Amino acid sequence: MQKESKLNAENRQKTSGRGSNKVPIGSADFLAPESLEKALDYRKRYGFEATVIAGGTDIMVDYFERLYEVNSWLDLNKIEELKKIEINDEEIIIGATATHKRIAEHPDLQKYLPMLAHASSEVGAWQIQSRGTIGGNIVTSSPAGDTLAPLLAYDAKVVLQSKGGNRILDMSDFFIGPKENVEESDELLTKIIIPKPSENILSRWKKVGKRKALIISSLTMAILIEIDNDGVIENARACYGAVAPTPIEVKNVGDYLKNQKLKEVDAKKVGEIAVAGISPIDDIRGTEQYRRQVTHDLTVNAIKEMAEEI
Amino acid sequence: MEIKFTINGEERTEQIKPNQRLLDLIRKDLGLLSAKEGCGKGECGACTVIMNGEPVTSCLVLAAQADGAEILTVEGLAEGDKLHPLQEAFIEAGAVQCGFCIPGCIMTAYCLLKTNSLPTRQEIRTALAGNICRCTGYQKIVDAVQLAADKMAAGGEG
Repeated sequence: MQKESKLNAENRQKTSGRGSNKVPIGSADFLAPESLEKALDYRKRYGFEATVIAGGTDIMVDYFERLYEVNSWLDLNKIEELKKIEINDEEIIIGATATHKRIAEHPDLQKYLPMLAHASSEVGAWQIQSRGTIGGNIVTSSPAGDTLAPLLAYDAKVVLQSKGGNRILDMSDFFIGPKENVEESDELLTKIIIPKPSENILSRWKKVGKRKALIISSLTMAILIEIDNDGVIENARACYGAVAPTPIEVKNVGDYLKNQKLKEVDAKKVGEIAVAGISPIDDIRGTEQYRRQVTHDLTVNAIKEMAEEI
Repeated sequence: MEIKFTINGEERTEQIKPNQRLLDLIRKDLGLLSAKEGCGKGECGACTVIMNGEPVTSCLVLAAQADGAEILTVEGLAEGDKLHPLQEAFIEAGAVQCGFCIPGCIMTAYCLLKTNSLPTRQEIRTALAGNICRCTGYQKIVDAVQLAADKMAAGGEG
C-alpha cells in the first residue's frame, strides 16, 4: 500500500489546521447548494473545475494529502431531493446521495433488491456506510465498486441531469474503463432507476476480499435468475466486479441459461462460460488465475444453491 | 468561510478553510484530541466521531460539510467527573492497551448501543469492523462493550 513520503507529510501540515500559509482562507470555494437547479447551474459554470463531493469516502482518499489541489468543491449533501428513495408499481428510484447505510436498512429495498441491500451493508464499514452514497459508488466507477454488479444484475438505469436536460442510460453504457465513465462536465448523476423485480426471482450476491471490512473487493458477483412457475428460466443476468476494466455482465451466461429448467442446468458449464467472459488482471488484490478460479467456483455454487432453493 | 455546528452539546461558529478536514477542525482548531489520525484514508477508524447520529471517519469529511451538523466526541461523553458507562467499562474490562484506537471504538460502540441496547458479540464485532486495534485482539474490547450494555441496562445511563 501507499507509504507516506516525506514530501506528503510536509504537505499535510500545510493543508490543514492552523499555521498554514499555503492555502489562505477564501482561496478555495465551497459550494453547497440546497437545490438541484442551483447545483446544475454551478456544474454548467464550473464543470470539472469544481470537484463534486457527496459522502467523500472515495474522493477524500483520492486527494489524500493533496487536498490543496482542489480549487472548488461542489457539495451535494444539502440537496434533499437527491436523497429520496421512491418505490412505485413499476420502478424503484434511488436518489444519488442515498447512503449505503440507508439502502442496507431500507425494508423495501431489502425485499425487492436484496443483492443491493446486502452489498451496501458490506461496503467498507459502518463509518463508510454512514457517509458513502450509491451515486458516488457509481460515479467513482471503480471496477470493484461493491454496488455495481448488483445494479447491473437488476438492469438499473442512471439519470444524468444537466441544464440542457436529462439523459437516461443503461448502467452498462455508463462505464467506459477503470474509474472512467460518460458523465459530462455539466452533468450530475441524480438518480438510479431500477425496474421492480417480479416475484419469481432468485439471486445471489458474493463479495471476496482479504478482510471482511474496509477492503477493496478482489471480486464481486451478482447473479439474478427469473423463473416461471415450472422452474424454467425466463431471464438471467450474471454480473461481476473486479474481473474486467469495468463491472460487467457476462451475457453468454444469460443466453445459456435462458429457457433451461433451473434444476437441470449444468452448473459447471455455467462456471466455464462465466470465466470465458471475464478479463481479469493481476494486482495486489489477487492474480488473474485466482480471479478466474473464484469466478468459476462462486458461479457454480450460486447456480447449485439457487436450484436447490426452488 | 464560516460554519455553525454543535459539538459535544456546545454551539460553535468557526472560520474554516474549504479544504480543511473535519478531523483537523476538531483536533487543531478546537483542541479536542480524542479523535486520532491513524491512516488518514478512512481505513482504520481511529478518527471516528459521531456526526448527526452516525459514526463517521472524520478524516474523510470536509469541515465545511459539518455546517449545521451535530458532532459528538469522547470529550462529550462524561458528565462532569462521572465517566460514561462505556468509558468505565473499557477501564474495568482492561480493553485499553496503547489506547490509540479506543476513542474511535468507543464512539462506534456508543452508536451501536443507541440502536441496539443488548447486542450479541457478533453484532458488536460487525459494528466495530471499521475500527482497527493492533494491540488487544479485540476480545476485551468486545467484553467492554457488553459490560457497558449491562451497566446501561442496569440504569447507569439511559
